[in-house]
Amino acid sequence: MLEHWLEQAALSPEAAEKIRRFESQKPFSLHWELKTLLYLGVLLLNAGLGYLIYDNIDHIGHMAIIAFIGVISAACFWYAFKHRKPFSTGPIVSATPYFDYVLLLGCLMFLVMEGYLQYQYQLFGERYGLATFIPMVLFMVLAYVFDHRGVLSLGITALASWVGITLTPQDLLTKNDFNSHTITNTGIAFGALLCTVTFVSERLDIKKHFSLTYLNFGVHIGMVSCLAGMIALDLSLIYFPMLCLAVGFFLWYARTRASFYFLTVAVLYGYVGITYLIFSTANGYDIEFYLFYFLFSCIGVILFLTNYKRFIKKVAP
Amino acid sequence: MIAYNREWLDALRISDTAYSWHKNGLLTADELEALEVQKPVPFYSPNLFIRIGLGIFCLILMYAAMGLFALTGMLDSEAGLTAFGIFWAVVWIILLELWIIRSLRHYGSGLDDMMLYVATTTLIGGLYASFPSWAGPLTYCWVALPFLVAGSIRYLDRLMVAAAFGCSLLILLLTIYEIPKLALYLLPFSGMAFTAAVWWGSRWAQKRLAWRHWHGLFVILELLCLPAFYASGNYWVVQQAGLSWFNLPQPPISWFFWSFTFGVPVLYILMGLRLRDRLLLDTSIFTVAAAVFTFRFYHHVLPLAWACTIIGAFVFVAAYFFISYLRKNPGAFTYESSAEADLLQEIEEQLIEQLIVAPSAPKPEAPKETFGGGDFGGGGAGGEY
Repeated sequence: MLEHWLEQAALSPEAAEKIRRFESQKPFSLHWELKTLLYLGVLLLNAGLGYLIYDNIDHIGHMAIIAFIGVISAACFWYAFKHRKPFSTGPIVSATPYFDYVLLLGCLMFLVMEGYLQYQYQLFGERYGLATFIPMVLFMVLAYVFDHRGVLSLGITALASWVGITLTPQDLLTKNDFNSHTITNTGIAFGALLCTVTFVSERLDIKKHFSLTYLNFGVHIGMVSCLAGMIALDLSLIYFPMLCLAVGFFLWYARTRASFYFLTVAVLYGYVGITYLIFSTANGYDIEFYLFYFLFSCIGVILFLTNYKRFIKKVAP
Repeated sequence: MIAYNREWLDALRISDTAYSWHKNGLLTADELEALEVQKPVPFYSPNLFIRIGLGIFCLILMYAAMGLFALTGMLDSEAGLTAFGIFWAVVWIILLELWIIRSLRHYGSGLDDMMLYVATTTLIGGLYASFPSWAGPLTYCWVALPFLVAGSIRYLDRLMVAAAFGCSLLILLLTIYEIPKLALYLLPFSGMAFTAAVWWGSRWAQKRLAWRHWHGLFVILELLCLPAFYASGNYWVVQQAGLSWFNLPQPPISWFFWSFTFGVPVLYILMGLRLRDRLLLDTSIFTVAAAVFTFRFYHHVLPLAWACTIIGAFVFVAAYFFISYLRKNPGAFTYESSAEADLLQEIEEQLIEQLIVAPSAPKPEAPKETFGGGDFGGGGAGGEY
């Protein structure tokens, strides 16, 4: 088979010879298999230890458990600090293959320890904001220092819960009566914040490769909040323009940065929003009306998507 | 036999192969560019995310069109349903063949995939609508199979071939199930024999030059056979099937199925290393997990929490030692990532526009003549998010 492709490709004899030698000698890479095992190990270890504590919460000495988890977590962080590379605002190649996974284990263990302390001793009492603030700061700092996108995602999640908890009035939370307005608005603001962070860091040239992680959280949190505002709160007049703004922003982003992912995502969210708006305002028509709407709108979207090459700028700025 | 232009399929394969050579530093950017000019690929094959989007909207579009048509009141009888299904299947296939594939030159664009799926499902569904009530699952499978096979051969579709594989396995098992008395003994072994035969067949077929366009389909078959083979003899599967179908709490020759449960994962690992077969190795991870779950289902040796912790620590430490061993002893196996196996990297590349031969193309790395050791940069995708 190789010979066939070489012949078809009509390469120079030297290039063909080089390829033949490469194909016959290339070693078999176990890279992803072993990485998967490392990841699996971290997840199992974390789940096992977390469950173990939950199970034996009254049997083992509390101090022993806290000390044990603390030691694991500290050892992981110590390993990360010992093997760290000098800080850079660009991507950093991990010092050892295990580096990323050890750091991740350390962070997850820290969460388990914190959860245990809160459960057993009510360390933070009712101040849930503080309980999410500490891991948020820790993970954000670690993500930037050690250049770890997984930890960054943990940090953004912690940030989201911190923002959500801090902005929601406490009595509402305790009464288990979530105020949808507050949560929706918080979500939109948070999505906008994440997008702003992306642009500020790209302008300042700090960790540009984190953009995708920030924007990915930003696009889904922001757009889902807009849709929630339209559908659950029934306030299309306010939230539909916001959705349009967000869709427009991500279409512009997709156009200038040549990002297919954000193009498709923005089109999908936009379509859901417009469809909901039309269906909620134009009720009482025959079913033909809706079917024709789907027919023609889908033709439009397909025409737009198939011509994506004309929409996306060839050379990224 | 194939709906798509064969020359372009070849050109596409060459350009993909050449790109991986380029990433390994075996071809210069100039050579790659010359090849692209010499062997153009006129297919319209958009990026993965565009494909997903197009697929979703195409699905809504087709159902809306069929819904409008259904309003005319054709669907009030079983014969009407069948006629409706056949009519629309023919419409979609004609549109797919003449318009999408021939004049618009789509290949894997989301539109051609979705049209094929909708055409096949409406056709098969339409036929099912007028089946007599005595028709059992076996009849349904036999009716679906020819369309699935024909669809995968003509449109080189991987999902269709997976469906065809599942369908034929089901036919085999349902047929064996009907055999009185012997069914219990024959079922696991027929599953094993079938999957093993298909596995060998698809490995052999992948090497045939004349069948090169179906290469990807045979890989899917090979991949599907591995878990199916393991499931055929796994103790839990056999025991549960015996219990629900034959009211047998314990299957006969259970020693055999127990040794199969633990032996096959080991066999997969050994064969995977020996044949250097990634599918076998990757499946072995899942089969080992399945073996552990099977054992734990019958013997509660350890509480779940302890088992998780111990296995997790063991897996982590084992991977740690393997990695350090491979890094110190370069040889036939390596820890360095290879360009071809990098699925994650491939997905990341799909996120942005490929600029292979544009001015800002990635710098080709110096040709690597020595293997093992060192950072294998790979000169991956350029550009930003």
